[in-house]
Parts: sequence; C-alpha cells; structure tokens
Amino acid sequence: MSSIFHLVQNENMKIYRRIGTWVMMGLVVAAVLVAAIFTNMNASDETTNWRTDAESAIQQSEETLKNSEGMPKTFKDSQERSIAVNEYRLDNDIPPLESDSIWSFMDSSTGVVSLISIFTIIIGAGVIASEYSWGTIKLLLIRPASRTKILASKFIATLLFALFSLVILYISSFIIGGLFLGFNAVAQPYLTYSGGEVSETSMAVHYIVEYALASVNLLMMVTFAFMLSSIFRSSSLAIGLAIFLMFTGSQLTFILSQYDWVKYILFANTDLSVYFDGSPLIESMTLGFSLITLLVYFIVFLFLSWLLFTKRDVAA
Amino acid sequence: MAVKPIVQIRDLTKVIGKKTIIDQLSFDVYPGEVFGFLGPNGAGKTTTIRMMVGLMRMTEGEVLIDGSSIKTDYENAIVKVGAIVENPEMYKFLTGYQNLVHYARMVNGVSKERIQEVIQLVGLKGRIHEKVKGYSLGMRQRLGLAQALLHRPKLLILDEPTNGLDPAGIREIRQYLRTLAREENVAIVVSSHLLSEIELMCDRIGIIQSGKMVDVQRVNEFVKNDQAVMVSFEVDPLEHAVHAVKANFPDCDIEQSDRKVTLKIEHELIPEVTAVLVEKGIRVYGIQSSVKTLEDVFLEVTGGEQVV
Ligand SMILES: Nc1ncnc2c1ncn2[C@@H]1O[C@H](COP(=O)(O)OP(=O)(O)O)[C@@H](O)[C@H]1O
Ligand SMILES: [Mg+2]
Repeated sequence: MSSIFHLVQNENMKIYRRIGTWVMMGLVVAAVLVAAIFTNMNASDETTNWRTDAESAIQQSEETLKNSEGMPKTFKDSQERSIAVNEYRLDNDIPPLESDSIWSFMDSSTGVVSLISIFTIIIGAGVIASEYSWGTIKLLLIRPASRTKILASKFIATLLFALFSLVILYISSFIIGGLFLGFNAVAQPYLTYSGGEVSETSMAVHYIVEYALASVNLLMMVTFAFMLSSIFRSSSLAIGLAIFLMFTGSQLTFILSQYDWVKYILFANTDLSVYFDGSPLIESMTLGFSLITLLVYFIVFLFLSWLLFTKRDVAA
Repeated sequence: MAVKPIVQIRDLTKVIGKKTIIDQLSFDVYPGEVFGFLGPNGAGKTTTIRMMVGLMRMTEGEVLIDGSSIKTDYENAIVKVGAIVENPEMYKFLTGYQNLVHYARMVNGVSKERIQEVIQLVGLKGRIHEKVKGYSLGMRQRLGLAQALLHRPKLLILDEPTNGLDPAGIREIRQYLRTLAREENVAIVVSSHLLSEIELMCDRIGIIQSGKMVDVQRVNEFVKNDQAVMVSFEVDPLEHAVHAVKANFPDCDIEQSDRKVTLKIEHELIPEVTAVLVEKGIRVYGIQSSVKTLEDVFLEVTGGEQVV
C-alpha cells in the first residue's frame, strides 16, 4: 500500500540527514582538489612538437608490425589502432591531450571512483544493518509495506547515493580541473577506433562512459556488501569484508590467472575496460561472457539479500 | 458478545529450536477495551506481540486483525495496527517531526494536519522540531505513541509502555489510554510484568506464564470469583478460638499471631465463624477482612513466582 516512491524518499532522508554522508561528499571533492593541485605543480612548460612525435610513433608501430610474426592478435590490433589514430590526428590537425589538460585530469580522477565505492559500501551496508542496531527495524517493518518493497527502496537509495556521488565527482573534476589547468582543451574530440575506422566523439560523453565502466566494480561490491548486511545484520562486518575483497580480489585473481576457472570469479570480470583497450586476464574471455557472469553474481547477491531480509524473524 | 472482536488469536504457537516459547495461545480483544497482557519476565509477552505484528513468523495458529490475517493478508491487517514493540526506538539523528513524517509516508492518507493533531495529543508540541537525540525516555515514549497513532489504528499494541516511567508518567499514560479506548473505540493491548502498573488501566487481564495463557478475566472479577478472603479475628482467649475454628471449619488455613487468628475463608462464611466464636463464649474484639489484591491473585496464578 505504501508507494515505493515514498519509501525511497524515506531512505534518502535517513541518508542525507546525517552529517557523515556530507563528510563523504566533501572528501570526494577534496580528493579532486588535491589531485588538481599536484597535477598543476608537476605540469611541464616545455612544448613538444606533437606532429613529429606522432610521425615517429607511426614509424615505430610499422616497424614493430613487420617483425610481429607469432605475436598475439590483440597486440597487432593495438599497433594498428595506434597507427590509424595518429594518422587521423596528422590529417585533421587534432593534437593529442596534454598531460596537464582538463581531460587528462578527468581521466586520472576516475581513480576517485574507488573512494566512492568505499563510501557507497558504507552506505549500502548501513541502510539495512543500522535499522537493526538502532532497533528501528521493529517500527519500520510493521507498516503496510511489504519487506520486499522496503528492501528495494533501500537498494535504490544506495544506488542513488552512488549516482549522486559520481555526478559530484564528474562536475567537480571538470570545474576544478578547468580552474587549475584551463578550459582551452574542452572542445577537443575523443578519437575512437573500430573496424579500421577512426571517428570523433565528444570528450564529455567519453568520460561519462569511462566513469560508468569504472563503476561496474562499485556496483558489484556495493551489492555484495548489501547482501552481507542482510545476512549478518551487522554493518561493520559487511563493510570490512566488502572493502577487503575489493582491494584484494583483483590481486587474488591475478595470482590465480594460470587456471582457467578463474574467469568465473567475480573480480576477473569487474574491469570491463580491458575489452575496449587492453587484453582480458584469460584469453577465452569476452565482453559478453563477463557481462553474463556479472549479471549472474548480481542476481545471486540480490536474491540472497531478499531471502534473508524477508523470510527471517526479527527477534532481539 | 455481539460485538465483533478486533483481534482474534487462535492457538498461537512459536517453537524456536526445540523450545516451545509460545504454546497454543488464544484470546480475543474487543473494540474500546483495554486488555492487559500480564506475565513475569520471559513469559513470552514480547514474542506474542512480535507474532501479532508480523515481525516473527508463527509456528502454528492464526492472528486475525479486524478479520484480516496477519499471515496471508499482512498489509490489510497491519494497517489497522499501531504498535510499540519493546522500547520506542526512533531515528535519533532526525527530529521528532521528521520521524513522524517518515512513518506518515508509509501509510496512505496521513495528512499534515493529522501529524499536528497527534503531536498535540501526546503533548510534544514545544519540542517536536528538536533532534530525538536530546529527548528523555518519557518524550520518546510519547513520540512512540504518536507514530503508533498517526494512521488512526483500530488496535494499539504497547509492549511494557510503563517501563522506565515515573509514577506521574504512568498515570498520564493510563488516563490517555482510557480516553482513547472510550472516545475513539480503539482496542488496546498493554503488556506488563507489573500488575500494579496496569491493573487500573485495564478492563480485562490475561495472565501468561511460560508461554501459556493461564487465565483471562475481567479486572473486577478477579476478586469476586476468587472465593477465599483473608479474615482476621481479634479474640480472647486465642487458644480456645483456634480450637473452635479447627473443630468447625477443618478445611481452612489458620494462622495465629499475638491476639489474632487469621483464616482464609469465603466471604460468605464470616458471619458463621463469628457465630461459632460467640457461641463458645469467646470475646470478639474485631473482625478484619483483607480483600485480596490482584497482586495476590496474580502471584497465586503464576505459582507465587518472583514477578519483578
Ligand atoms: N530468538 C529467540 N530464540 C530463543 N529463545 C527466545 C528468543 N526470543 C525469546 N526467547 C525466549 O522466549 C521466552 C519469552 O521471551 P519474551 O517474549 O521476550 O518474554 P517477555 O516479553 O514476556 O519478557 C524467553 O524465555 C526467552 O528466553
Ligand atoms: Mg518483553
């Protein structure tokens, strides 16, 4: 009987009426600020001639390709891509991004997404477990709203927090980056290469995609923490375990990468950017495989959260 | 009774592990009635209430609220219930008002005016925009009551509402609940482990002991139905009197103190005992009948176990 909209509104109130939440937002902006100050300090004033650089890069790649018998296909692809993009730059007079341009800064600030992951894990684990530790769960659940709806509203509110933080990161990176490094590179296009063709897209859109890719790991770890919180009804346990796995998971899969079954581990699939520029951990892995694996994990996490939240007694 | 009960509890049972915590509990509560749910600590009051509001699953049995089953028609059943289960725990970082808005959003049709009305009713007007963090226990009880009343429930369930309140607070709650039952025809279930705290506010009391309902009675019937009354006779000489009573009323318990003989007899027998004493030439200086308090009955029903 209660609408999901109102329930999400309630969850939002409980998230944003706490000072801790705004401290997190402040830390995100502070991280961007610190990064900008460092980039600004290290910026070199020497201007190199990008044209000669591009030409020599093309030559080098062509040399490499000549002697590339037996090299993996992905390697050859990346060389061809480099040649195509550099030629396009020379033909259309599009210089590459300088290391101290606003867009390069946007690129490095995707690193702050892991900070947002940690914060969202804290929020996601808290939205369930805190109700138990506060004792408010007893008043929350005795309303004409099914437990499923209440759980859904909590998950949605957690994702909204992540989205809100990412938007803050994107906007503050752009503004702070621009203020420290100048806005003159703003209009530069981003060059993409696919099927032998180079095409131009907007940098702004490109970085939105970058942020989205960087957030796959966030989404999975937050859903994982959400599940742990529902299972253990303890936010510290959920937060601790999720953050620990977030930092050790990728190393772990890397160490085990000689085994083929590693590809079924969650962390082997969370970095989707390898399918766009780079090579996957295990050669047989494809974007489709990773997406399906992620989806299976996601559904299992949510299902277990739901099962333990809706079917168990609230006693204590 | 022609009036339809608001709550119908049938054979309610809860087994956790191998332990039967609630054992085939059945009772009804009617509109406009204050029902006391009395039992020592650990008797199963909170567990029963948790099952009544759907926080815990019932192992067996059924709870109907105004005809709707908590088990199979939860949303329709629970919308008629307002409750505080154990302590009134609220969101401490929100103001009292924000807490009420939170719960108001979860039910259809609670207007801003209704929120104000409830605030007025529980007497929190002056402090409602302060954070709950700074509230006293009494204020939190009031806020708890306010959230329970927002949606005009037909049934109000309060688990040990007098816990931690001073006598003035208890008196206030008592008056308030009586008014609510009388004027709004709300059925109220109040649990407590202290009879003295609820006997004055309840119409009926159900006594629970080790998960079983031992007795359900109207409050004034507790005394009436129970036949035995403690009666003290101030007499001289004492030995003769004891002897005479023992001879004539062999079944009753006799205690003797310095100048008194105290009997546990039916109210109706007082004149007869007096007649016997007088007949034997014993001087009777006074007769005191101490009507048993509910407390005595409660202690008796629960086997004289420690209550507090
Ligand atoms: N989750 C549980 N698991 C096992 N036993 C429980 C649980 N909850 C309560 N009990 C037991 O059930 C009995 C009734 O407890 P409770 O309903 O809290 O009593 P009351 O509210 O009357 O004091 C107690 O003996 C308690 O130890
Ligand atoms: Mg209790």
